Amino acid sequence: MTRALLVGAGGLGGPIANGLAAAGHALTIVDPDVVELSNLHRQVQFSTSDLGASKAVVLAGDVNARAEVARWTPALGDACDLIVDASDDPATKFAISDWAVANGRRYVIASALRYGGNVFAGAPGAACYRCLFEDPVDDAPTCADAGVLGPVVGAIGGVAAAVAIGLAAGDRSLAGALLVFDDLRRVAEPRIVRFAPRPGCPACARAPISPQPKEAADAEHSRAKRTP
Amino acid sequence: MPSIRVPSALRNLTKGAADVDVAAQNVRDALAELDKLHPGIAARVLDAGGGVRPFIKIFVGGEDIGELGGLDAAVTAKDEIAIVPAIAGGAGA
Repeated sequence: MTRALLVGAGGLGGPIANGLAAAGHALTIVDPDVVELSNLHRQVQFSTSDLGASKAVVLAGDVNARAEVARWTPALGDACDLIVDASDDPATKFAISDWAVANGRRYVIASALRYGGNVFAGAPGAACYRCLFEDPVDDAPTCADAGVLGPVVGAIGGVAAAVAIGLAAGDRSLAGALLVFDDLRRVAEPRIVRFAPRPGCPACARAPISPQPKEAADAEHSRAKRTP
Repeated sequence: MPSIRVPSALRNLTKGAADVDVAAQNVRDALAELDKLHPGIAARVLDAGGGVRPFIKIFVGGEDIGELGGLDAAVTAKDEIAIVPAIAGGAGA
């Protein structure tokens, strides 16, 4: 059973939590925010009866997960094999990627805005999120200020969950790839762009030298379980 | 003529257009042409020095222009130039 950490219990976090929990992963959900009326058009896991309640607690209750009313911290990652970012904060996305690279974890970075979004799949040895986008920006629009069509987060969150489940199962076919959804009508046909690690990427420079510790340990654990 | 695929985050600058055809032979000229048609969009893609802003990637036919010569990467009439920004949205208040 993979120990998964979901950072963000909002529009993307809802379908991701359902997907990971239904697949049998031990899930911890992290979010510091409470449910607000303006969330409800896209965060369909909540209703008016949840207004003012912790998003992490409500969502975790729905999917039998553990809740942490907090922001991402590296200490949360220590207890997990897989991290899925569904936060609304560019700095958090880069921090999770950097930490995952440095500690040999698999991870997914999911984002949605207006009518589209991105899903990035990371794994030890593959290009990382910082290889791709280099640095966060302070003025990137978020769902809260630029808006997002409700079904977009459902569709992209579902894909992010599927990608995460694949990574948890050892599928590296999308490791280091960005799935780009730029039109909801083409959500079943994302543009898939694959990257090689960027020379000079400061995050990759801090990555452990092979073998990647967490994946290697998981593989060894799986082999041991199969051995009669 | 090549077309530029505009991400949804920038379509407020293109009156909602997702694809814009431009007359150009390289990516730099294509972006300049796009900015003539939709003023202000180049400033969202390029920095003050004329380079691609760090949180944006540009692809020609699915290939990162970093592998193709950067903004001088050649484009043909059949090429699609895709602008892909890092996106923040996810949870949100």
